[in-house]
Amino acid sequence: MILMKIVILGFGAVGQGVTRVISLKREYLLDKYGLQLDIVAAVDRSGAALSENGLEPETLLETKAETGKLSQYPEYGVEGVSGLELLDEVEYDCLVEVTPTNIEDGEPALSHMQKAMEKGKDVVTSNKGPLALSFTKLAETAQKTGTNFKYEASVGGAMPIINLAHDTLAGSDVESVYGILNGTTNYILSRMAKEGSSYEQTLNEARELGIAETDPSQDVDGWDAACKIVILANSVLNRECALEDVKVEGISKITPEAMALAKKEGYLIKLIGEASQDVLEVSPRLVKEGSPFAVEGTLNVATLKTDLAEDVTVVGKGAGSIETASAILSDLLNIWNSG
Amino acid sequence: MRVNLVLELLDVPGQLLDVLRPMGRLGANIVAVIHQRDVKTDEGKVPVQITIEGDEETLNRVIDVLEENGIQIMEVDGVLRREKITTILVGNIVDQDLKDTVNLLNQLPGVRVADLDLKMSDPPERSASKIVMEAREGLKQEVFKKVNEIGDLKGFLVINEI
Repeated sequence: MILMKIVILGFGAVGQGVTRVISLKREYLLDKYGLQLDIVAAVDRSGAALSENGLEPETLLETKAETGKLSQYPEYGVEGVSGLELLDEVEYDCLVEVTPTNIEDGEPALSHMQKAMEKGKDVVTSNKGPLALSFTKLAETAQKTGTNFKYEASVGGAMPIINLAHDTLAGSDVESVYGILNGTTNYILSRMAKEGSSYEQTLNEARELGIAETDPSQDVDGWDAACKIVILANSVLNRECALEDVKVEGISKITPEAMALAKKEGYLIKLIGEASQDVLEVSPRLVKEGSPFAVEGTLNVATLKTDLAEDVTVVGKGAGSIETASAILSDLLNIWNSG
Repeated sequence: MRVNLVLELLDVPGQLLDVLRPMGRLGANIVAVIHQRDVKTDEGKVPVQITIEGDEETLNRVIDVLEENGIQIMEVDGVLRREKITTILVGNIVDQDLKDTVNLLNQLPGVRVADLDLKMSDPPERSASKIVMEAREGLKQEVFKKVNEIGDLKGFLVINEI
């Protein structure tokens, strides 16, 4: 048995999901991989909980649920410590960076990841903002420092796509990739198609259900999908690009009339992200009813067009605490297996 | 040799004859004609399957003459000759000169607007139009590029096929 010490920066839905998954899979990881995953530190806005000997996942979750603050963790809670400071103080192997995403400047996640890699630590993240803004810089740092930099969870939540392209489809050249990469907009468009309701009405309904955020602009204006298509372009197509290079059109102009016309011709309207060597865009597109892209609800779907394997399409849950954590766990295990 | 053709004809008297006559004249042998008037495409056309026999040169000549006469050949031996391209525009379609929009698309070589559906809304800026084009195989990307240009020019939201 060998130990992998991890630091979790950010303790929202994804951070808590990772903690829960580590707790759920403790025996399984020991049996199958001989691996013990120890959370040596976890950080939220209030401060941190840290212990060289590993924190108790259940206690972390309970503390967060009861007080909302990790700094209240019994005995090992510390108030007001920042993620960056903590990375200097703690002994660890891998950083799990899951702070809230920032698509303006990528901070503080960008600095967290840079710092960890510069100190020779591996990084696993679900944080798409810094990747969409500074993918090249991060990838270069990883290469320079010989560290693992994994981000499967940043695109499509639980839907495997990045590791699928890199590992499972190794040897095939990916020519283009396109997909439904945002669950909120897919929910809204699915409802509009089904109910014939207006965009505004459906958005309000999604807000009430907690599917859309109070400020849904990142989703409905297409920026969330744009971040993901940039990550795919960089990582799967080896195309150096950033968020500013994407042509983005959201779904707010879609009307019930447009939906009805599409339906009459056997089509649905979906928000599609597409990347190839000469295309980088997010826009509403027509997909055939009954095709793999006619998914409903918050599902994500993506197709890789390859030279040898032709089209490979995957469908999966694009968000959710445990679902996203599953992708982070698979990255951790990949690092473990490669070491 | 033999070749199977799938055509789409307007449902008006004399259409089938216009197709068969040049075949006989050019020396192709008509093996089979499957024509069901009650089966229609979305555009109200009648699909007709015709098998003809002859030497290669004659058969190619027949196909050329049919196309010159404006007959729509959808498939030759199971291979699509023409494809349908659908696009949806959202915006002030009528005020932005619908006729001009159609003309711009028809000007693309090998492309023809085959069907157009319009849903007006109040306010008119949110009207939607579905345009179905028939184009020679392989022109799809070029058509989408043109539609995007028109959309940029006239301020439409363009929803192309994937």
